[in-house]
Amino acid sequence: MIGTRPYDFMVKYTPQRDWIEGHGILIAFALFFGGIAGGLYLVSLYYDSMWGMFIAWILAMVTGLTDMAHLSKPMRFWRMMLKPKTSWISRGFIFIWLFLGVAAIQMAISYWADGTAIETVFKVLGGIMAFGVAIYSGFVVGYVGAIKLWNSAIIPILFVIAGVAGGLALLMVISLGNSSLSTDVAVALRVALIAYAVCVAIYLWMATYESTAARDSAMRILKGGVASVFWLLVILLGIAVPIIMLFAASSSAVLIIAGIMVIIGGVALRYSILKAGVYSPLVPTE
Amino acid sequence: MRWGMVIEQKRCIGCNACVLACKAEHFLPPEILWNRVLISETGKYPTVNKVIYNVRCNQCAEPKCVDVCPTGATRQREDGIVIIEEDECVGCRYCMIACPYQARSFYEDGDAEYFPGQGLTEHEKIGKTLYPHEVGVVQKCGFCKERIDEGLAKGLKPGVDREASPACVISCPTKAMHFGDLDDPYSEINRLIKEKKGKPFHPEYDTQASIYYID
Repeated sequence: MIGTRPYDFMVKYTPQRDWIEGHGILIAFALFFGGIAGGLYLVSLYYDSMWGMFIAWILAMVTGLTDMAHLSKPMRFWRMMLKPKTSWISRGFIFIWLFLGVAAIQMAISYWADGTAIETVFKVLGGIMAFGVAIYSGFVVGYVGAIKLWNSAIIPILFVIAGVAGGLALLMVISLGNSSLSTDVAVALRVALIAYAVCVAIYLWMATYESTAARDSAMRILKGGVASVFWLLVILLGIAVPIIMLFAASSSAVLIIAGIMVIIGGVALRYSILKAGVYSPLVPTE
Repeated sequence: MRWGMVIEQKRCIGCNACVLACKAEHFLPPEILWNRVLISETGKYPTVNKVIYNVRCNQCAEPKCVDVCPTGATRQREDGIVIIEEDECVGCRYCMIACPYQARSFYEDGDAEYFPGQGLTEHEKIGKTLYPHEVGVVQKCGFCKERIDEGLAKGLKPGVDREASPACVISCPTKAMHFGDLDDPYSEINRLIKEKKGKPFHPEYDTQASIYYID
């Protein structure tokens, strides 16, 4: 090969850096917070947990703030809502703001006018917005055709399942004072974690034969530079050990530890996917 | 009208004159390049081939960057040129992520000097007043739209008259680059595309790039 090669990223698979290095790491957290905020609100609606809904609301706020913290021009954040017709970031930002408004009204109605028809209406609206908050980050990533690992129809589903699993883990910890609720949530969490594991496996399995670039990324996750984070934090700490703990024990301390581990695994999942995203070579080398 | 470019790969000698012309024309800061010369080798000895691609923003007719931009800062003009309104960009870098050609740059360090620790050169000082770039936003090639607009206002023809043509095109010592209107069936670039079977860079991305490559 020739000596002069000023832009290596043009001749080989090149990891994306903008959304993982430096300030870019905030994107991994924004994707995580979006998923867990939407997931927690949805499961809190199902189990009728006001605390869960409130914490989901806070997390949705954190999602928006994390997104804004990543911007180099945060004071222009309002402009991010101007292109919902084509941009998933725009749609997501609108979902977050609508969710914050609708969920706040819903919680107020649930507190002061519990059991009314208007409460049901706002719960349904809040649920729709929460689903939007949970799924939009998957579409933000999935729309990027330049990075083949991301450009997958499974990613939005994976992010929602991961968000629901994280939401259940958080709700389980929140509801430890109510033993019947926390037991129910722990059972649901076991199922969610198994579904989450299956979804991760399908996603990576499909990536290995979708394109050479997606395969390269999948190999980075399975045996390359991202493997330690993936196997230790996503699979072992975030899925396998919590499942065993949930089956084996039921003390509060164990459930809290399991919940925290699932949440750490959720962050690590987003990190792994962002970190392993590569661009295809632009110029032929063979 | 849709501005486009044809690049003759066999004529390109990889001298980087176009890269420097672009740098000078737009007073680009250090580390920022709006066009690049990519060189690679294919094959195995003794049948090796040197491949040179002169790349820049492809001014795609179906630009992914325009789709993903949440603010509308990246937009397409009527003549097909994709522009960035720097004062509307929030710096989320989604457009950089989405561009399959990696043609965008982020201007991060406003204090960067071409000769670190030596202060700004006269050229850099002039650039900061004549062609100020906003720090913390994304930039890219705009086909020298200022030259095109001013040239058209003077009745000149981009691609024919030097004053109205992109800096990279007129700087090429081997005349490997041609500029013109893709919508004009009689333009030189359309003739070259037809005669020499021009192909856009990585057509599999389906962006309908406005830059074609011919042998």
